[in-house]
Amino acid sequence: MLLDFALPAHDRKLIPEGRLSGPMPWVIAIMLFLTILIAAMGLSLAYAIRDGGNDLAQQATVQIIEPDPIERATQKVAVSRLLREIPQIDSVNSVPDGEVRNLLKPWLGNDVIDADIPVPALIDIRFKNAPDGATVRALKLRLEEAAPKIRIDSHSSWMAPFFDLMSSLILLTLAIFMLLLVATSAVVILAVRSTLNTHRSTIEIMHMMGGTDLQAARLFQRRVALDALLGGVVGFGAAAAVILTLGGRIAAVEPALLADATLPWYGWLILAIIPLAVMCLAMLMARWTVVSALKKML
Amino acid sequence: MWRVFGLMQSVVEFDNVGLRYGTGAETLTDLSFTLYPGSFYFLTGASGAGKTSLLKLLYLAHRPSRGAIRMFGHDAITLPRDRLPGFRRRIGVVFQDFRLVPHLSTFDNIALPLRIAGIQEKDLKSPVTEMLDWIGLTERADARPATLSGGEQQRVAIARAVIGRPEMLVADEPTGNVDPEMARRLLQLFAALNKLGTTVVVATHDIHLLQEIQGAQMMRLDKGRLSDPTGSLRHPPRPLVLKN
Repeated sequence: MLLDFALPAHDRKLIPEGRLSGPMPWVIAIMLFLTILIAAMGLSLAYAIRDGGNDLAQQATVQIIEPDPIERATQKVAVSRLLREIPQIDSVNSVPDGEVRNLLKPWLGNDVIDADIPVPALIDIRFKNAPDGATVRALKLRLEEAAPKIRIDSHSSWMAPFFDLMSSLILLTLAIFMLLLVATSAVVILAVRSTLNTHRSTIEIMHMMGGTDLQAARLFQRRVALDALLGGVVGFGAAAAVILTLGGRIAAVEPALLADATLPWYGWLILAIIPLAVMCLAMLMARWTVVSALKKML
Repeated sequence: MWRVFGLMQSVVEFDNVGLRYGTGAETLTDLSFTLYPGSFYFLTGASGAGKTSLLKLLYLAHRPSRGAIRMFGHDAITLPRDRLPGFRRRIGVVFQDFRLVPHLSTFDNIALPLRIAGIQEKDLKSPVTEMLDWIGLTERADARPATLSGGEQQRVAIARAVIGRPEMLVADEPTGNVDPEMARRLLQLFAALNKLGTTVVVATHDIHLLQEIQGAQMMRLDKGRLSDPTGSLRHPPRPLVLKN
């Protein structure tokens, strides 16, 4: 059995176990620290895309590009009324002109904004479900009856390149995650081979007395499992401290999209499973390494 | 091809066996003999004659380069690797260099074959304690091999080899490091096992030991070839017939 590492005390003595005395638990701790950090990054990005993406995909901004301020105000009221009558739209928020001017001040400067230059009227809308292109085009046609110079900006369209970048980063974190698992497996194999060489004479004696390959493999499995568990606890603890510290700082950052890049409770659950998964992987690697090496002996 | 002596099945049969390490000359050449249950054999010969190599074939540490070996009624050459442990548990081995596990106590070293065979802890304390008493090392039950003298280590190695009551005991110079009195006692232990039906093969330089065991047969190796000075291997005396 893979998990039968609860060996009797006398069997444990065959391959002495020095807790945290060798480099193996520390190397696994470092590998797991990096693995959990990269997994947390990937999960955070994935949640940010899912939550933020869904949110943005439902939003759009209606611009009324009418130079005459009185006509623009009239059209804004008419368009707002029309929008509230459309059942697919969940909410309509007419952005005050003052707020629009404040938004433009950093780009155009106070003097220009204070002058009487035409600024489009903005209405933020939220759809009940993310609209497709046809829905947006149909809405535009309908609104043009009230305001001929109208434009609808779906938020998902201008955020698309950003989400593409985020998706690429998720793939990158997945690749790094897999590479770290491969590197951890390699570390385990090297450590087991080294231990096997150190205790070769003991294993040979066991063999000569009728010990099986699996009996020997179990001794190494247990040792590696304990090393991996200790390394996992240390690595997870350090990674959790970093994630919590960074999470607090990210939550304080604008825009709100970044604030979405924090881990929900089930994200933590996934991260907590990683050390256990790595322990099982390490045991499998140990078993495979020992059995493969012993097969070369008679 | 395989000979059966009367109705009794042999423990070991060698037929034209040769052993070569790497590409060198043959260490053992044209060995053909039969070992019967309950028999006692002394294997003699000068240093380098091939005694240890022959013993390694007997305790299944090596496979021969040629020839055929039959052990406990099975072809040992084609025996699948995963069946070797079962056969090895039927053989007790005393290594020339003792090969005790250095980080285990005397008690744990002696108990090792029983634990490997899956004997429960409650069932092994008594035989191990008895064996410790027999070899006179009760006081050193917790000692590590490094703290034992050469003779004490040898006694532990012998105790470890015999504690599982093997069907065949193979001992390589088992009395080389003990005083004559202890050598006699150890041989008595071997003889007692032999009377219980264990086939014993003892490799030794000491020809005086041969007189200690009545009815023991001698195998002599000379430059890898087996000579049979008493003729007992070709015409073995009727072996001990065991009753259940």
